[in-house]
Amino acid sequence: MGTTGPSSINKQEDVEYGMKFPIFTIKDMVNLQLALIDSLNIEQLFSVVGGSMGGMQALEWASSYPERVYSAIPIATSYRHSAQNIAFHEVGRQAIMNDPNWQKGNYYNTKNKPRHGLSVARMIAHITYLSEGAFQEKFGRDMQSKVLSWGFDADFQVESYLRHQGISFVDRFDANSYLYITRAMDYFDLSHSYDGDLFLAFKNTKCKLLIVSFTSDWLFPSSESLAIVKALNKTAADVSFVEVNSDKGHDSFLLEVKDFYKILSGFISGAARKKGI
Amino acid sequence: MSKNLNENLISSLIDNNSKVLDIGCGNGNLLYHLEKIKKINGQGIEISPNGVQESVAKGLSVIQGDADIDLASFPDNAFDVVILSHTLQATHKPKEVLIEMLRIGKKCIISIPNFGYWKYRIQMLFIGVMPVSKTLSEPWYATGNIHLCTLKDFIELCELLNISINEAFRNTTHSIKKINRPNSYLNNLLSIEGIFVLSNNLN
Repeated sequence: MGTTGPSSINKQEDVEYGMKFPIFTIKDMVNLQLALIDSLNIEQLFSVVGGSMGGMQALEWASSYPERVYSAIPIATSYRHSAQNIAFHEVGRQAIMNDPNWQKGNYYNTKNKPRHGLSVARMIAHITYLSEGAFQEKFGRDMQSKVLSWGFDADFQVESYLRHQGISFVDRFDANSYLYITRAMDYFDLSHSYDGDLFLAFKNTKCKLLIVSFTSDWLFPSSESLAIVKALNKTAADVSFVEVNSDKGHDSFLLEVKDFYKILSGFISGAARKKGI
Repeated sequence: MSKNLNENLISSLIDNNSKVLDIGCGNGNLLYHLEKIKKINGQGIEISPNGVQESVAKGLSVIQGDADIDLASFPDNAFDVVILSHTLQATHKPKEVLIEMLRIGKKCIISIPNFGYWKYRIQMLFIGVMPVSKTLSEPWYATGNIHLCTLKDFIELCELLNISINEAFRNTTHSIKKINRPNSYLNNLLSIEGIFVLSNNLN
């Protein structure tokens, strides 16, 4: 995943990095993006847009490099990962690391990869991306077949759906990358360098911000976004905040929610008008 | 008609390039107008999700929030002008909202429907029902206007809070007039709404 990761070849040892890959942070990701725009001679980005972990990066841009971004749209995100979210990540990581095929991360050149662990991690995470209402509406108690197995097969459609989500993830995601990326989110806390005083993280920002949350998102609930809005108000920053009505949970930011699209296009065209482009 | 009159009056009270907060900005029409005419740096607060969406879609900076709660996060004197148009009567704690407004704004423009208007008095006196009109259009059980007052009531509250009324205007059916003695009996009887420019005596 990304540019370089645990599955990349460590040229000094001519073997995959695995667990020797250094821990990295959201700020490291943003610094890499900064290096990219520097090398492309881009003075200022018109807008940095991201949801969830991408929203953390958008916030990091607005906080650390305010002069390099004209506007930012952090969506369904937080300025720091909550205890509950760290807890969910930890369960996912434990599932991977307790899979015997994980082999302390050195599975790249073996026959067996930690497929079960990674797929269970994905199943847990997938539950957090939806909402109670979305599950109920999508599956209810619908069955796979008309008769119960009276055992532990996937009788319910929701079970087979989750299993499918888990298995199909394994083919496109590296288990070690999952460990590192979830850790980067856990370590994210914009207020940390300012003794918990978040508004100091935005003190110098002239960046135009639009914060968006979704009513049914319980992974990054609106209260998280409101804490950011309050901090930005304290510095009298240029900020908009909308809580979009959606029953699709955290995943809403990836879906075609009509009101969400209207707001995004309105904000972006308004910002473009102000910038004179 | 009265809406445009209001917009024009408020616009005439604001200097070019001011930093302006509109509390209860609705669909953002006033802020949009002010950004065009007065090149203001505008910010809005609006409680209804639809209002916020329409405002942001106009390119305005608007926060979904509640005047009763969310003014507290702004620093002192954060804005040159704070506008509260037809909103005070819908707040839960109008006194606190007024105090907060004057803390965060150097100058405040506030418009309020006047419950002391003669037609309302007649409806109460002769028909014996809660007044309903174009400006106060909902019946008592459905209205969000939970803290209605007369102009006299409002002026007394300003005195109590040591707030100076720098200018006052009266809205009758077809025109807005500047008034020199806002607290007169006739003014309270003849105005559908009052528009006041306030500042804090402590500033």
